Amino acid sequence: MFEQQKTTLMEILEGSPSQPMSRYAEWLISTVVLVNCSAVILDSVPEIHAVHKDFFHELEFWSVMFFTAEYLMRVWSLGAKYAGDSWKGRREYMFSAFGLVDFFATMPYYLHVFFPMLDLRILRVLRLLRILKLSKYNSALQDLFSAVYSERRAFGSAAFLLTIATIVSASLMHFAEGHAQPEHFGTIPHSIYWAIVTITSGFGNVEPVTKGGEVIALLTGFLGVCMAAIMTGIVASAFANQMSRKKSAYQAQLRQVLADDVVTDAEKDALKRLQIQFRLSDKEVQTMMDQAKAGKKS
Amino acid sequence: MNSTLEMSAFRRAKHRVFNILEGDVADPASRFCEIFIAALVILNVLAIILESVPEIHEAAGAYFHVFDLFSVGIFSIEYLLRVWSYSEKYTGPGDSPWKGRKEYIFSFFGLVDFFSTVPFYLQLLMPGTDLRVLRMFRLLRIFKLSRYNSAMDDMFEAIKSEKDSFSSALFLLFISGLLFSSLIYIIEGHDQPEVFPSIPAAMHWFMLTIISGWGNVDPVTFPGVVLVIITQILAIALAAILTGVVSTAYTTQVARREALYEMEIREVLADGVVSEEEAIKLKNMQAKYGMSDEQVEAIAAQVRAEKDLPE
Repeated sequence: MFEQQKTTLMEILEGSPSQPMSRYAEWLISTVVLVNCSAVILDSVPEIHAVHKDFFHELEFWSVMFFTAEYLMRVWSLGAKYAGDSWKGRREYMFSAFGLVDFFATMPYYLHVFFPMLDLRILRVLRLLRILKLSKYNSALQDLFSAVYSERRAFGSAAFLLTIATIVSASLMHFAEGHAQPEHFGTIPHSIYWAIVTITSGFGNVEPVTKGGEVIALLTGFLGVCMAAIMTGIVASAFANQMSRKKSAYQAQLRQVLADDVVTDAEKDALKRLQIQFRLSDKEVQTMMDQAKAGKKS
Repeated sequence: MNSTLEMSAFRRAKHRVFNILEGDVADPASRFCEIFIAALVILNVLAIILESVPEIHEAAGAYFHVFDLFSVGIFSIEYLLRVWSYSEKYTGPGDSPWKGRKEYIFSFFGLVDFFSTVPFYLQLLMPGTDLRVLRMFRLLRIFKLSRYNSAMDDMFEAIKSEKDSFSSALFLLFISGLLFSSLIYIIEGHDQPEVFPSIPAAMHWFMLTIISGWGNVDPVTFPGVVLVIITQILAIALAAILTGVVSTAYTTQVARREALYEMEIREVLADGVVSEEEAIKLKNMQAKYGMSDEQVEAIAAQVRAEKDLPE
């Protein structure tokens, strides 16, 4: 029943290139999300809240209606993802990161309607999850995560280093200054906060008063510079690796296309799609093409 | 007859002015003109900086004024000459002389040339205008220097080729900014209403924390402490991501240029002889890409070695 409509709706919502409508759906959802987030921000200013309270209520109601419709449509249409088992695609969506975001960004409103005693602050936090809906449409962000993910071991060791550095400098500071400034370094957990502030900003929220404390503070600040350098190096190499992976994949495809000396339209389309998927610039592609041609000649 | 001859002499003069100002062709006159304008710009910027010191301004105000008059005169002549001579840029049969001129006037450098000079005349016409605005416009003159330095172009090009990565980093900043400043407002807003009275105020705290690592405010609740620590680690991560993106962009750009240069060298060395013309072409390419002599030598040596191997 409605199989055709279901597939079309899925393609629109999932951003299939064969549906020009999916572009508009993307824009519409992004706009509503942005309007919502602006509303949450503005609503928090007491003066604005006092004047436009009713408007924000109205806006919240209609946004929830909109997002509910979106969620239901997604769940329904994703049944068409796998032929035969309509709940497989639906389950997959509902328990994916985006599915959970869609659910938890909308449903608390109904909870609030049924249980009016609920803490409003938790509700507001959940409303802010709506901003994460935007990340679905940003492929560069997913690229960034995949680059970071491929270097997770290096990140793990950096995090380990950061933990050790924090604990060591916090403990040392506690022993050096615990008596002089008990309100800031009285316990090690207290000093941990100071250590992290010093590592990230180079200058702590508390100035040491003893000579020993001063030396430790300087060393901790310097550690922060080292940490930043290590992190930067890891991320830079992750990006460079990802770039070269993409390039060699593209080059392999290019060589295959050029192997028989004829570039058909289908092959040209495939190359173009690959270029867009890998987000390579025209100049880079042109250079690679020239190189591949020159390589063939010699 | 006579008039066409005169016309062609006029055209030739215009063409010469265009070449000198554009500086594409290696030429002592254009080199001199470049150095002269660059020196004048640097002196101008120095004058603006020194002039802002009250003691110096009182002692030497008249000299500064004369110098400014002189510079405005030179820059105005430069601007007019440029507009006049840029009609030589497109000399095709159907091209109107205003095509090149329009392109120049509305280019980045054309606008800089215009807005760094013309406000001076505005002041003459309307003596009531605010002097501070005028000084700001005068500072634009420093951008005239970037015409003679490809570093800025290189940077913009590198950023453009990695604009998706940049936008994703900005997007990450945007999303985390919204989430974190709202969270800190919700968590600490009750306990510290003077620092987190609203989400926009919390955003100010967030930006300070992201930029400097510490947002001038200590959290008072335990969830607040956790959130602040996460924000500080995010600050390092964002700085690392931006640095990583920039360094990748530059590396890719350098690699691409080396590849292009290598292909050119291969072509030049293919017939075994390097003619005068080819040598100049290589030299120009090297200058355009800002490659060092060592880099070029390494590429050339590699290509030569490859050529010799099979023989």
